Amino acid sequence: MILNRLNKALRQSLIILIFTVMIAIVFNLLRPAGIALLGFSSANLIKQRQAQIPEISLSEAHDLYLQKKVLFVDARDPLSYEEGHIAGALNIYPDEAALYAAKLKTNNYRGVLIITYCDGPQCPLSKETAYALLRQGVPEAKVLVNGWSLWIKAGYPVKKGRE
Amino acid sequence: MRNFHRIIVPLCSLACRLILAIIFYYAGIEKIADPGEFAVAIYNYQLLPDLAVNVLAVILPWLEIIIATCFVAGFYVRGAALISSALFLTFATALTINLVRGLDISCGCFGAASGNINWFYLGRDLSLLFMSIFVMIYDRGWRAVFILRSTK
Repeated sequence: MILNRLNKALRQSLIILIFTVMIAIVFNLLRPAGIALLGFSSANLIKQRQAQIPEISLSEAHDLYLQKKVLFVDARDPLSYEEGHIAGALNIYPDEAALYAAKLKTNNYRGVLIITYCDGPQCPLSKETAYALLRQGVPEAKVLVNGWSLWIKAGYPVKKGRE
Repeated sequence: MRNFHRIIVPLCSLACRLILAIIFYYAGIEKIADPGEFAVAIYNYQLLPDLAVNVLAVILPWLEIIIATCFVAGFYVRGAALISSALFLTFATALTINLVRGLDISCGCFGAASGNINWFYLGRDLSLLFMSIFVMIYDRGWRAVFILRSTK
């Protein structure tokens, strides 16, 4: 009896599904606002979102640094990081964000602004790391564009080796 | 009193069906209005590959509308209730995974304007899941109303 009912339900649901797929695809083809069925590109979306990550100026970043309200994140490779980085900065390469996100979301970091940087005005790593951290649920992150060069030029504290 | 169970259960099931139908109509129409936004909401869950995102964004809203229509019309109700249970189970899984991951993303439950995911939404989803299962097991169609009338 129960098997019979389930069988019937399964058959009905299959018919509903087939019917739905046909209607949905035809409707999507005909409407002006239709979208390409296989055309979703996360790469484009990520680029757009990375461009929207807010930037911060050197002076603002340094003010927050003096108030200890900031955590610098060095998005460059580990070798460059060991040769020298902003004192107190963590080294998080974009694809390592998931490893650090849980730690950065704890209460220890509440009220602390995360600022990512790399080297050069065109360097994409800082935005990539900031985006990856935001995507892992870190509440806020800003980018200090060309951060490393600006920081050493201004003569602010740096450190060598690992933290 | 002997007939109480026979009357009340089909009536409850009918009520569940209509509530589910209203919710599905609302959710489906909101999503059909802007498939691009809904695709982004699906992508934000980080559970599907790119190729599946738009396909789901196109089909899911219609599935919701057609299920709702089946519920209202009393046509293929068991099949519709089976799909609806499967949908709510899937939503519950997706919600739980991302709540545990700690992501702060838009629910996408009712199109782009819905709030960010939280545990209340999971509870809401689970109660709708139980309603769907109840309908799948106990539904007697619009007949429930007429049975009530004839026993009076």
